[in-house]
Amino acid sequence: MTGQNGQHTAQHLELGGGRIHVMRAGAGEELLFLHPAAGAGFWLPFHGLLAEHFDLIAPDHPGFGESDRLEWIDGMDDLVYFYLDLLDALDLEAVHVVGASLGGWLGAELAVHQPSKVRSLVMVDPIGLDLPEHPVEDIFAMNPDELRAALFVDQELALQFISPEPDLDMLMRAFKEKTSFARLAWNPFCCNPKLHLRLHRVTAPTLILWGSDDRLVPPAHGERYRELIAGARLEIVDDCGHAPLLEQPERTVEAIGRFHAELATPGSR
Amino acid sequence: MQFFMFHLMPYPYLPADFDERESAWVTLSNSNYDPTVGTGLYNRYLDELEYAEELGFDGICVNEHHQNAYGTMPSPNLMAATLVRRTERLKLAIVGNGLPLRDHPLRVAEEVAMLDVISGGRIISGFVRGIGDEYFSMSIDPSISRERFSEAHDLIIKAWTTEGPFRWIGKHYRLNYVNVWPRPLQQPHPPIWIPAFGSTETMSWAAEHHYTYLSVFAPSKLLKRWFDGYREGARAAGYEVPRDKIGILLPIYVAETDKQAHAEGRQYVTWLYHKGLKHKFEHLFPPGYMSDHSWGRFLQSGLGAYSDVSYEDLVAQGYAVVGSPATVRERMAELAEELGFGLVNALLHIGDMPHDHTIRNMELFAREVMPHFREQSAAA
Repeated sequence: MTGQNGQHTAQHLELGGGRIHVMRAGAGEELLFLHPAAGAGFWLPFHGLLAEHFDLIAPDHPGFGESDRLEWIDGMDDLVYFYLDLLDALDLEAVHVVGASLGGWLGAELAVHQPSKVRSLVMVDPIGLDLPEHPVEDIFAMNPDELRAALFVDQELALQFISPEPDLDMLMRAFKEKTSFARLAWNPFCCNPKLHLRLHRVTAPTLILWGSDDRLVPPAHGERYRELIAGARLEIVDDCGHAPLLEQPERTVEAIGRFHAELATPGSR
Repeated sequence: MQFFMFHLMPYPYLPADFDERESAWVTLSNSNYDPTVGTGLYNRYLDELEYAEELGFDGICVNEHHQNAYGTMPSPNLMAATLVRRTERLKLAIVGNGLPLRDHPLRVAEEVAMLDVISGGRIISGFVRGIGDEYFSMSIDPSISRERFSEAHDLIIKAWTTEGPFRWIGKHYRLNYVNVWPRPLQQPHPPIWIPAFGSTETMSWAAEHHYTYLSVFAPSKLLKRWFDGYREGARAAGYEVPRDKIGILLPIYVAETDKQAHAEGRQYVTWLYHKGLKHKFEHLFPPGYMSDHSWGRFLQSGLGAYSDVSYEDLVAQGYAVVGSPATVRERMAELAEELGFGLVNALLHIGDMPHDHTIRNMELFAREVMPHFREQSAAA
């Protein structure tokens, strides 16, 4: 089981009343990857890069990718409790967490609810904070052209992820994921208005990564997360929009690697 | 055949560059709305609906839409309140209240019951989910629209038909004292109409409850599929749908001759479909507003945007009926035969139609079209 050649195992767990798709590859300390609101279930280059250093565990959230929708999940706290059950089901005591966008928010909530389960936290352009002065753009209202422009600097690359001519399967999958995302983020829009009151509970060493040209979530969100989480560090990923793991996978995984190397060095933090 | 006069009360004065805007909904700024103009429009539109009583219509329809230029009745119950006091005989159909868009279903139960009592039992209570755009405009999660609709409906019907107070413990609404004053006058409750866009879920739900099923703007070949689906759903539930429980919403423009009708009507019909109904696709179909199944069916249906259909095709495909009285009679007879409806919600003010043409349209329709179908039903 190695991530290097794109090899990974995929299993379907029975959990919470449905089948949950979990991809896994690599060896070493366990790292839970929490995906963003779209494109779950595909093994992408960044997965392979992370699996070179970790035992990477990448589930599709319920209602995303190949996982069933669980009707009882209609808010972020439900998803957090689902993930606590998932960690138990996989017999994972505590994990490193990397989460992107929606997944970054989820990672922060996990670290708030059960600090002991999260050994370290990396959030990549996370949503989740309620900053009325710096609103997140309405991703639900965007057409494919607008999405590409909002999410990526490199518009050629963007075409690979958001096709100009999607087939029926892709349209059905996107609808399913957007529906599941709506249950978590339609109103309050893309945030938990109480999260800022709770982030002091996070004990995990935390790195916040932000695409230099994120046009979806203003960088003020990254700065606010850094202020609210004790000892958190904010780093910018250059030449990059809202999705650093897709647009700059090497650079992003390198930044995560440096952060973990520091963690492993006693006294470095 | 029953005839109701439908009005959308559009705001026809769009900005000069409207064709470059993405939509007449959600994002079209209300800076384009001039309230001084609005005073004239509302009162004119209400006059037109009231005139339907004199012309012998069975009823009139008002409906609910939010934050758009297509229809300026965010509160249909307010419109109904002004109309019940100015009419004596007409049925007043509210088609409908957008249940999932409201925070409190009891407010709907109360207002409709008030209207029913004030009007002496002339209210028809439509229930709708609201269109996709309105889930943006009101920030209601579209993915729970259907369950909110269903629960609010169950609660309202129970509030109208069960002695209070009672307790309601639902998923979306939890109420310790449901005890609606006044109770509706019509027993067990006002008739229920369900306008729908062809989803199988709504068809079978409406059939199960024996409610009147109303179409919305679509080509007649699609309406046939919807009405057939409704009749089949009802049959499966052991119920044969009478014709008058199937209603069509139809923009109709009558003038003295076909030539005149098209010369004048083209602009109005085009305004309705190409401007008023101009939506951003992502607004009209928000996530979860349809079930995954209905979404798949919709994608495969190949149904495009209204604005892509030319005036000629709008008329040819049954999106609108335009012509002389004889032509309109023939076309409507053809449609009634093909589709099997017994209720016509006639949109006789269309788009940017001025008052004089609206009045003439109503008069020609009432005097030269309606009687033909009345006689036919009487003979049948």
